[in-house]
Amino acid sequence: MASERESMSPTKVGFGVLWPACWTGLPIKLVFALLAFAMGMMHFEGRLGIAFLMLLASPVTVLAMPIIVMGLGSHFGEGLGLPLLFLLSIPIDIWALDVVGRTFLLERFRKEPPGGLGFTLWWKSALAGAFFLPIMWFLVSVVTETAVSTSHSLAQAEALRGLFGTGLPISERIGLEVTLWGTIASMVLIVLLTIGVSTVGRIVRDIAAVAPPAPGDYQAVITRWDLMRVPGDQGLFLTGVTGTGVLMCLLFWAVLPVTTPHPHECCTKPEVKVQAPFKPFKPIEALTRNEQQIGELAAQVEALEQQKAGAQGEKEKGKGKADGGTTANAPAEMKL
Amino acid sequence: MKQPSISSAPSTAIEKIVAFIDTRVGLKEIQAKMLNEPVPGGSRWAYVFGSILLFIFAMQALTGALLMFYYVPTTDHAYASTQYIIHEVDYGWFLLGYHFWGSSAMVVCVIAHMSQVFLWGAYKPPRELLWLVGLALFGIVIGFGFTGYLLPWDQRAYWATTVGVEMVDKVPLLGDFLARFLKGGPTPGQMTLSRFFVIHVMILPAALMALAGLHLFLFRVAAPAGPFTGTPEEIKAKTDYFFPRQIWKDIVGMAAVFATICSLAFWEPVVLLEEATPDPGEYHPEPEWYFLFYFQLLRLKIFAGEFGQFLGAVALPVLFMILLIALPFFDKDPERNIFKRPIALISWIVLMAVMVVFTVSAVINREFLD
Repeated sequence: MASERESMSPTKVGFGVLWPACWTGLPIKLVFALLAFAMGMMHFEGRLGIAFLMLLASPVTVLAMPIIVMGLGSHFGEGLGLPLLFLLSIPIDIWALDVVGRTFLLERFRKEPPGGLGFTLWWKSALAGAFFLPIMWFLVSVVTETAVSTSHSLAQAEALRGLFGTGLPISERIGLEVTLWGTIASMVLIVLLTIGVSTVGRIVRDIAAVAPPAPGDYQAVITRWDLMRVPGDQGLFLTGVTGTGVLMCLLFWAVLPVTTPHPHECCTKPEVKVQAPFKPFKPIEALTRNEQQIGELAAQVEALEQQKAGAQGEKEKGKGKADGGTTANAPAEMKL
Repeated sequence: MKQPSISSAPSTAIEKIVAFIDTRVGLKEIQAKMLNEPVPGGSRWAYVFGSILLFIFAMQALTGALLMFYYVPTTDHAYASTQYIIHEVDYGWFLLGYHFWGSSAMVVCVIAHMSQVFLWGAYKPPRELLWLVGLALFGIVIGFGFTGYLLPWDQRAYWATTVGVEMVDKVPLLGDFLARFLKGGPTPGQMTLSRFFVIHVMILPAALMALAGLHLFLFRVAAPAGPFTGTPEEIKAKTDYFFPRQIWKDIVGMAAVFATICSLAFWEPVVLLEEATPDPGEYHPEPEWYFLFYFQLLRLKIFAGEFGQFLGAVALPVLFMILLIALPFFDKDPERNIFKRPIALISWIVLMAVMVVFTVSAVINREFLD
């Protein structure tokens, strides 16, 4: 079906392979991640979400992560468990890409999957990721930082002050800023992710281009595709999975700490410093207090003036007496 | 000449037990009905959320029962017993952490399940009743989160519940009665804790089990909706049966969710604040993370004042729920392809974006609370 292969965009092909392959491998990786947590071999700071995504997408992040950690100075956590987990992901991803790649080639391209498909897809994707992901990480970081500071300035713009008298209220301002920088950062991330996924799609398409067509009609192809997802010896597979599950459970409970594990020195949360209580400004109270103060000061000024006037009157009285008699215009003594 | 019938008498002990039960209960017929359900278009990972929710509920019931061995639902001892579980009981920190993060996982999975049903158009006729029962289950899950949050009786629990009950008070006519019913009096106290405990461990689990059973029954009657793309030939060619394909996917989904919840319990064990007091002091009340977006929304100026608070706290959520309830009855277009339903797709994207933006805003707003 050359027409179908050519009409399917590389982004669709890349997504059609990477999305199921990542999720196929994740449950197995999670089991090892959990054991690493239980054994205290892995400690995370706040970037658990990003670390989870990198583990999920480890076919493309496995070589990129050390570059991002060392080259760009990003820190996800401490412990031997983290690099060990990514090393363990390699055979898991090769298997997942093999299963997904074979079924995708058969069902969507109607092509016979070549041997060693999983390993081929893995090393090409990992190499592409090693180049692309650090660039994407750097670009998205720069764009996000710029967008945050720009949206901050916009939200405090003079034009917006007129809307609410004293500027945008805090909730509205935060919402506006988050919407602005979130939209810009998300759009850049989506565009770059699409480019990355389409790169993987081109890799898959190139492999499909040289593969021979699969024999049989649609039903025969679907039957083969269906059986590719089913292990040959189901009894053995079930026994193996159950046995492994039981072993993992026993191991987990054996290494689980009895009491709350203390955080590693690298990742202790900073101590909350109790700051001096900030007294909020209450305008009505302040105005009332100011009015009272003004009244008191006015009364004091009036008293001082009266005192001064009284003193002046005393002075003039004394002067009149010295001149030989009270004057007719001597002011009456004011009693305070 | 009659061919002698080959007797298939059970030989092993297990086969004999199964045959014994089968002749009295019809076990094999039940098994065939339950497991041989056809899944048109094949089993899919998108269909696992329902089973995952059942699994999470079972785990919450199990961990909850284990926690109840030590938890005391009185204001004198709720906090101390919770601290005892965390610090003194062997593996108690893990059980409490699992129960705490399991509640968050339940909310995430219920939103994922509802989103999948909405985007697949699986609420359309003849699945209206299934959708309505699902909405009731959604309300129960939110109720679980709300009632369980109070039980540790620390400052965070007490004041988040106080804020939530004050919002109920804004309902016209019934608000005062409802708030007093929840609080068990004029102010939150022992009566509140007792009522929330009974609602959390008895009333809501019973309601959930009953409605989940009804939900499953309606699902089996209506049959799975299947994918919204593909020709009838493709859909028929790829038809799987519930066992083993979909069950396998469900098990993998459950294992992944279990491992994720356990990992979260390790990464962020439960840490209580100070014991609840009538004076919040320096503490700024805040609900659980899945309510944060709405908490931030209510801070907007448009929701200030008495009318604004009624609008935000009561009118808007009620209108939204009415819209969801009425959805299958006014959206009768048989088209289920989400890419040919632009209003539905854009509405869902906008709703998810609003939830994300306002949740992030609420986290940033914490720095400005003083």
